[in-house]
Amino acid sequence: MKLTLKTTLRATGAAIAGIGMTAAVAQAEPKTNMMHQWAQGAEAAAIAKLGEMFEAAGGTWEQTSISGHTSNTLAKLRSDVVAGNAPAAVQLKGPEIAEWNATGTTANLDATAAEQGWDDVVADELLSVMKPTGSWVAAPMNIHRVNWMYSSKKILDELGIAPPKTWDEFNAACDKVQAAGKICIAHGAADWSDSTTFDDVVYGMDIDLYRKAFQEADLDALRSDGMVAAFAQLRKMVGYMDDGINGRSWEQSMTMTFDGEAAFFLMGDWTVASANLAGYTEGEDYLCNQAPVNWGGNGFILNSDSVVFFKQKDPDFVEGQKMLAEIIMSPEFQVTFNVAKGSIPARTDVDLSTGGFTQCQQQGLEDLKASVAEGTLVRSMAHNMTVLQKYRGAMMEVITEFVADDSISPEEAANQLADAVELQM
Amino acid sequence: MAETMHQDFDPLATGGTRRRLTSKGIVYTLLAVFALVYTAPLVIILLNTVRPLDDIVRTGFIALPDAETMSLKYWAEAWGTFCIGGTCEGVSRFYKNSLMMTIPATILSTVFGLLNGYILSKWRFRYDGWVFGVITLGVFLPQQMTLLPWAFVLGKLGLSNTIAGLVFVHTVQGISFTTLFCRNYFVSIPDDLIKAARIDGAGFWRIFYKIILPLSPPILIVTVIWQFTGIWNEFLFGTIFTSGANQPITSAIVAFSGSGTGERHYNVEAAAVIMAALPPLFIYVAGGKYFVRGLTQGAVK
Amino acid sequence: MPSLQTSRQTTRWQRRLADLTPQLVLIPTLVVAIGYVVGFSLWTFWLSLSTSTLLPDATFSGFDQYARLWGSKRWTVAYQNLFVFGTLYVLGTLFIGTLLAVLIDQRVKFEALWRTIYLYPLAISFIVTGTVWRWIFHPNTGVELALHDMGWLSAQFDWITDRDLALYVVVITGIWHASGFAMALILAGLRSVDGDLVKAAQIDGASMPRIYRKVVLPTIWPIFIAVAVVLLQFAIKTYDLVVALTQGGPGVSTTVPAIVVYDLMFQRGQIAQGAAAAVMILVALAIVLVPYALWTGWKSRKEAAHHG
Repeated sequence: MKLTLKTTLRATGAAIAGIGMTAAVAQAEPKTNMMHQWAQGAEAAAIAKLGEMFEAAGGTWEQTSISGHTSNTLAKLRSDVVAGNAPAAVQLKGPEIAEWNATGTTANLDATAAEQGWDDVVADELLSVMKPTGSWVAAPMNIHRVNWMYSSKKILDELGIAPPKTWDEFNAACDKVQAAGKICIAHGAADWSDSTTFDDVVYGMDIDLYRKAFQEADLDALRSDGMVAAFAQLRKMVGYMDDGINGRSWEQSMTMTFDGEAAFFLMGDWTVASANLAGYTEGEDYLCNQAPVNWGGNGFILNSDSVVFFKQKDPDFVEGQKMLAEIIMSPEFQVTFNVAKGSIPARTDVDLSTGGFTQCQQQGLEDLKASVAEGTLVRSMAHNMTVLQKYRGAMMEVITEFVADDSISPEEAANQLADAVELQM
Repeated sequence: MAETMHQDFDPLATGGTRRRLTSKGIVYTLLAVFALVYTAPLVIILLNTVRPLDDIVRTGFIALPDAETMSLKYWAEAWGTFCIGGTCEGVSRFYKNSLMMTIPATILSTVFGLLNGYILSKWRFRYDGWVFGVITLGVFLPQQMTLLPWAFVLGKLGLSNTIAGLVFVHTVQGISFTTLFCRNYFVSIPDDLIKAARIDGAGFWRIFYKIILPLSPPILIVTVIWQFTGIWNEFLFGTIFTSGANQPITSAIVAFSGSGTGERHYNVEAAAVIMAALPPLFIYVAGGKYFVRGLTQGAVK
Repeated sequence: MPSLQTSRQTTRWQRRLADLTPQLVLIPTLVVAIGYVVGFSLWTFWLSLSTSTLLPDATFSGFDQYARLWGSKRWTVAYQNLFVFGTLYVLGTLFIGTLLAVLIDQRVKFEALWRTIYLYPLAISFIVTGTVWRWIFHPNTGVELALHDMGWLSAQFDWITDRDLALYVVVITGIWHASGFAMALILAGLRSVDGDLVKAAQIDGASMPRIYRKVVLPTIWPIFIAVAVVLLQFAIKTYDLVVALTQGGPGVSTTVPAIVVYDLMFQRGQIAQGAAAAVMILVALAIVLVPYALWTGWKSRKEAAHHG
């Protein structure tokens, strides 16, 4: 009863404020259609849970999942907007939120956010992304940590190596692993995964450089000696990989590591979800540590999935958007979704010690808090959390070419990186 | 006619018996080697449909199934219970969409192609070459380029997110192909036939029904096979212009190529791929003979 | 009498209508074709001159986007790949297709079986084709692994991970997919060749390969043109095959223009630059088709002059 009354009241408010179709509102039945790219496995199951919660709250749930590449999701979104029927809710992230907000097609969530007190519970670093112009336009679903280093417990034990903490230690460890005839870094080359590794390297070598180069696209930083040094480290690391990196998926790289064929695997925490499903055990098959940093302390490269709501004419869908936003931000959903996805909740007030979070996930939350306290938290360039896609795309082209082509020197690469970004300005 | 003349000509009949035997040997060896290379991918997919996932993940895609662990259950899963986009009904529910899209679009584009080909080859008019040129250029437009304009047009027509919209898009794009095929085929029908009919007082439609249509089956088979397989296998438009329960089967199996962050059920996906490929495969196996025969009478001259 | 006049008018009207029937029937196609081919192309060209980013936008900005496009290494590699891939793919497919057609033309047993085997790849979608061939070509999962398992440990077959050779993997896969189609058309052509021609050549003592090369194949050249046109459109539109096979890698070495167009327009929110790339694809097409059109035009004029 309470829910129905509340729903009706809110719908009335929205109608008076926005659309002025008071007559239709009395019967508003919350509906939604969420567009996302999680078509399979644990992620699809997590979304299905979202649907169940939506229906349990009295809504009509529909979803459009577009498997495979993100560009298909974005292409569909653009086509729908061009066709004049923007979807009610879409999985979008990073700077795209601000870009879409600027087109004037997104809905404003301020009322719901104020009512639910989002400002108090959402991690600070996410606020600027979710509120590009000061108003809420996106609801964050999770926080992924990008800078994890997974290692094969078997290889580390055999060779008596402790998980390296700095890049020098990492290189020394790799020399040892290679001398023992094993692969040091398991990697599957693709623009995003090459860039994930490079995120770790630049961040671990010089955090200010990371901020200037990858969060602000500063040309001098991109061309700097620090960047040359970072590319030199990346070149070294390519030498620690095997010849099969092209055409290998990241899951295959994970399997290689956890089966003891390769020592290290640099990847985000979604690895945990896949590892759980594939039956690998934390602490037995693999260890998770922060990717090396030369400056000591705790570091955290952040990635976050979020949902953006587009303006709707149908009051049923408007109502559905409010309900969906509330559910996404509910602690219950944040737990379910993030246990399945390997990430940690976007709300900082959720207790991770219960509900099935792994040690690695709990460690992630602790590191996040420590990183915030130390002022070392950054957003991930590789995972589209910092600069506009056109700059990110230009950067990733250079990085992935550098990994693929030995003949490019670190100096050339740094220049190409700056040139490629400048060209798009 | 062509076939009977051809009977007199046995390429291998030249030279002595020994030479004929070695030539035969070379011919069959080459045929077999190519056949091996051509069938390998299909065999590999088939083998992976019966292997358990951990076996595939650990020993790679190219390995024989283990007699103890192999199972047909992945086929059942792919057909009826596998979860795609939050609905756990396998690929079976997309079959209907694909058929509802492919059959009308194939028929419509073929009918228009026949008429256009007939007009452009037998009812010549000023600038008909230009018209033919513009229509044929349609086969070259990259899909990625046409996505946004199509989205706009479908939105204006109120066909967004409908199978009817997909039928419309595929019909328009298909006309380019069918017109090209049919026009080149009808050109080889002697103009005298048409002239005689016109002198007898036959009009446009009468000539079409009485002369053109009876001569058309070969090219009809070619265009139908071509259009059916092309439209059935297309995934980009299906993915972008429809959603949820309206999507064709290819959108459901795009993930097969994917690089998503979720785990993959390669065996179920392999079975789904075979299922999705069955209608076009069937058409080729059943119609292959006519395909070649149709082209024999069509494309030449 | 008014009624007679009306009927006469009707007849005249009907006759005029009958004369116009072909054009009238053609109108729907014409409208659609002009809208689709001309309209969409012009719209794309116009977008390429605009400031469109996330959504189409009408502000004019000139040829900036072309300059940016050509400044990017990925695009220059992709454009070059289009020509390299296109040439090798079309020629390779024609060659293998001809070979298979000639082999099947040798009155072989089980002709239907061979034909079906060579033709079936065309029924398999590009996504699946690319994925399976990636497994076969990849050193960790495919031929190289199989050779290692068989004991030949030094065997190396890693074209797909070699940036200089990966494009040829795409070419080979493309040929696998399309050569059956070429085979079918060329076989059809061979079957229509006049047997007397061959007999005459045989009497002159020419060998079989020579007869094919000098007598049979030249008579069916229009078929080669027809096949080439169909292959050319596959080559220009190549997208899913590369995405599934190499994802454009290693690095950007196997990127093709259609991938760049899609990425720019949809992934990166640079619709104007993506449109510029699409226009450049059309330019590439013109580079191939215009000389051909001129040549055909010149030839038919010459023939007409000859006959006249």
